[in-house]
Amino acid sequence: MSTPSFARLGTANTYDSARNHLMERQAALSNLQEHLTSGKRVNTASDDPTAAAQAERALTRINRIKTDQRALDSQRDSITQAESTLGDVNDVMQRFRELVVSAGSGTHTSAERTIIAGELQGLRDQVFALANRQDTNGQPLFGALASALKPFVGPQATAPDYTFNGLPGQTMSSEVSIPFALDGDSAFMHQPQRDATFNVAVSTIPTTRTLTTDNVVVTNVATVAATATAATAATGVPYPVYTLAFTAVDSTTVPGTTTLTYSITETPSVTPLGAPAPFAPVTISYPSNSAAPITGIPGLSFSVTGTPAVGDTLTIDSQPSVFSVLDDAIKNIGGASNNNGAAQAVSQALHNIDIGMSRVSSVRGQAGDLLNRADRITDNQSKRSIQLEDDRSKAEDLDMIKGVSDFQNQQTGYQAALQSYAQVQKLSLFNYIS
Amino acid sequence: MSILSIGTRALQANQIALQTAGNNIANVNTPGYSRQSVVLQTVEGQFTGGGYIGKGVDVKTIQRNFSAFLTRQSTLATSTQSADTVRADKLRQLEGLFAGGANGLGASINDMLNAFSDVASAPTDLTARTVALTRVDETAARMRSASQQLEDLQTGISQELSQKVNNINSIAQNIANVNSEIARASGSGQSPNDLLDRRDQLVRDLNQFVQTTSIPADDGTVGIFIGGSQALVLGTTVSPVSLVQDFGGLTNNKLAINRNGVPILMDENTLGGGEVSGLLRFQNTDLVEGRNLLGRLTMAISTEMNTQHALGLDLDGNVGGDIFSPVTFGGSNVLIPTAPATLNTGATSLALSINDTSKFVASDYEVNFSSATAGSITRRSDGVVTNFDFAVTNPVVLDGINITKGAGVAAAGDRFLLKPFSTSASAIQREFSTPRALAVASPVVGQMCSANTGSLQQASLVARSNPPSIVPVKLTFINSNTYTRSDELPIPNTTNYPYTPGVPIEGTVPATNPLTQWSLVLQGSPKAGDTFTVSNTKVLDAAGTINLKLNAGNASAMMNLRDKALFDGAALTDGYAGLISQIGIRGQSANYAAEISTNLASNLEKDRTGVSGVNLDEEAAKLLQFQQAYQACSKMIQIAQNIFDTLMQGLAR
Repeated sequence: MSTPSFARLGTANTYDSARNHLMERQAALSNLQEHLTSGKRVNTASDDPTAAAQAERALTRINRIKTDQRALDSQRDSITQAESTLGDVNDVMQRFRELVVSAGSGTHTSAERTIIAGELQGLRDQVFALANRQDTNGQPLFGALASALKPFVGPQATAPDYTFNGLPGQTMSSEVSIPFALDGDSAFMHQPQRDATFNVAVSTIPTTRTLTTDNVVVTNVATVAATATAATAATGVPYPVYTLAFTAVDSTTVPGTTTLTYSITETPSVTPLGAPAPFAPVTISYPSNSAAPITGIPGLSFSVTGTPAVGDTLTIDSQPSVFSVLDDAIKNIGGASNNNGAAQAVSQALHNIDIGMSRVSSVRGQAGDLLNRADRITDNQSKRSIQLEDDRSKAEDLDMIKGVSDFQNQQTGYQAALQSYAQVQKLSLFNYIS
Repeated sequence: MSILSIGTRALQANQIALQTAGNNIANVNTPGYSRQSVVLQTVEGQFTGGGYIGKGVDVKTIQRNFSAFLTRQSTLATSTQSADTVRADKLRQLEGLFAGGANGLGASINDMLNAFSDVASAPTDLTARTVALTRVDETAARMRSASQQLEDLQTGISQELSQKVNNINSIAQNIANVNSEIARASGSGQSPNDLLDRRDQLVRDLNQFVQTTSIPADDGTVGIFIGGSQALVLGTTVSPVSLVQDFGGLTNNKLAINRNGVPILMDENTLGGGEVSGLLRFQNTDLVEGRNLLGRLTMAISTEMNTQHALGLDLDGNVGGDIFSPVTFGGSNVLIPTAPATLNTGATSLALSINDTSKFVASDYEVNFSSATAGSITRRSDGVVTNFDFAVTNPVVLDGINITKGAGVAAAGDRFLLKPFSTSASAIQREFSTPRALAVASPVVGQMCSANTGSLQQASLVARSNPPSIVPVKLTFINSNTYTRSDELPIPNTTNYPYTPGVPIEGTVPATNPLTQWSLVLQGSPKAGDTFTVSNTKVLDAAGTINLKLNAGNASAMMNLRDKALFDGAALTDGYAGLISQIGIRGQSANYAAEISTNLASNLEKDRTGVSGVNLDEEAAKLLQFQQAYQACSKMIQIAQNIFDTLMQGLAR
């Protein structure tokens, strides 16, 4: 008699499943609410594992960029300081140069030149202090690849008078960073073959005649380089000191032509390279009213103007650093006993200061490049950061419009479910059995 | 008088029908109750000359409405649902331990490595050093705490499992009892409906914990089998189940059935549905994977950090010590079978050590010896089998782990379970807190000759040995693409090495694997005669040429670990993202499974109750129907009375 019909329902099960569905809807609603309030589409990794990993990776990269930027800021600060320090060096050396020019005036007495030399000393100290400056973190600004706390040491009693306590070279900028320090060796130290900073000092010449030289030029770079290497290898001196002594001067035998003989002493003796031998005296002839070309020193040449006499000596030494240039200028200008010595000292100093300033300027140019590069990196990084933030947001953030609309839908659905549950449960045959 | 007796009989039958409807209504919400209905039959008529005269109605039986098929389907679906739901629930908890975002373990690892950036900017700044060390401590604490939370989860699961196993045993006992009652009642010829309902409900309850198969016997009892063919209840006897471990270790990970006191291990994959199976599956696969992923993350990162730190010099010029506690492998990483599993008969032992952190796979390994030295290793995470022979290579290197066979002879059939990653996260610690001891200086420095005329720049110079022995080395460029090395013998160095900008120049010729000494990358184009010298930092520091306190080469190298390919080729910093997505994928699939099996179960339950469930409206209609019939029967008796009365009155006259 009781054939189960296709659509038969168990009352208890109907209630159970209705209740379960209500609970499911409630859970879905609360889940949506959680998404809405947190603003995230992905609250736990199982919501969308791929998106969760993407968001996590984007976050990692965003933090990475923040860190890189922070380091870059610090690097930029250092290089900015280094750049402005080089600017200061330039200013001070400019002032130094002006003073040197004024010292060259023939009206100055030896005492006045001594006063100027005192002023020059102060400027030289400034340059030296600037070169050893450190950034806010205590890192030397001109530390190159690595250096001591104070990269420049001097003046020292033995040659070389100044040394760079560090490892020359420049670290490369990477995609996200620039170096912390500039190459101080390149800025302040000189190379004989590259920079040709030589100082020629003239022995005291009686005021009745003059004897000056022009600037030393390098005629054979390879010879100069080899000499420097040999000197360093032999005694640790960067370059030998040459002393020229005039042993015979004859301007009368052939009228209008002067025949000059000079001897050369090299200390330390390294010529010819590896097997020192005494230099043979050199004799040259030149028109009496022109400059005497001196080419006897290996790889170098300069010319002598004025009236050489037997017994006059010229001392040619290299200046391994900008500080040596300044020191020599001070020493020679302050110590010049007459105008001839002062004129010689001034002309040598001006030439070498210019070389020193151009070295400083070229490194300052590099600093400018680095700073430009830092700006470009910052630009790139902020673009990347925005892109990554966008990626992260796409991966895990909730589209608010969609979220709110889903929430509304779900809410309406839940309301309908509750109402229908209440309605249906009122329907029962028992209500009609009285 | 037959009308009176027909009436009375019908009255009784309808009363029984009413009573049955009432019983149905009363049990509308009783779990496991099957709707009953009265089966009526006519009483065989009396033969007369005028044919068979009906003798009324009788109750044949009270029928229990149920479909064995739907009941079994619904029970199975519920069982699967229990397993899937409990696993999804637990995975949600596991996922909660590995949160992403700015507060997650991943962020703390990244913050730690990023903190070295400040040290690189200011190597002498003790504050930056202290911050970096604090980050290291913080990361170690986070790893420990994640590990502790995993253990807490494990403890909870162990307790839940032992409770549920007790439930299985007590329900099994109840089924055995009901079996015996049913066997006794079966003799009566009528089916003991309520006992059958009770047994079906008990089976359904049992299936919530573990999936069973029921096989009815002739005497009315049913045999209950689990794990395919293991008899849990046979007639009236119960073989209790218990939790055991196959390999040593703290967690019970297998269900065993005890027949005559002998435990028989069952694999959780044969158990099918039920909460116990779901929990075992979670414990033995999901939780193990979670622990292994965390362990691998910890082990790889701490080892890499320690290795890199040892390549640095601290503020006092000493070689860097361990920054994290070093990884050690102990007894809980190499497990041997314990009873009731078959024990090893050989006498050998295995030991583990790290070979290559970048090759780690987050998995346990099972080693099976097929002879004294050879056999196979199964990677449990994906079942990949690798053959080994210790007679040929010892140690065997697998997935970046050295497996070393100790003395003693293995016997064929010996098994080992290797859990290399199970303990590293629980014991990880920061090893020192002195900021001076943070070794951020590089033991090698580069130097160009100041007379260089080319555009050579140092892109990177990293140490591979500490202290390096092949220093100083002077590279002298012959032209823009060849150079000689000063470490070459005999002097003069005549070999021309090719130079390509950006290609690393290694400290050893030829390069060793793994790399040793140092690696240099130069950029730019050198001119003939240009040189680059790689020197020992400490030597130059002692000579006063440089100050090693200002060097931060190793801090940069520590930061570069961020990009080291470690986790299945992903960068170190992305390791955690991989971890959470791996756990997330498990969670997601478990959620899907739970959703589907819940739907299936509820549909099948609906179908089952469509047959067995009480419908109140139906019962109300039946009440009306039988009430009417009852009233009609009363009327019949009244008419019989009237007839009798009429007859009596006629007689009285």
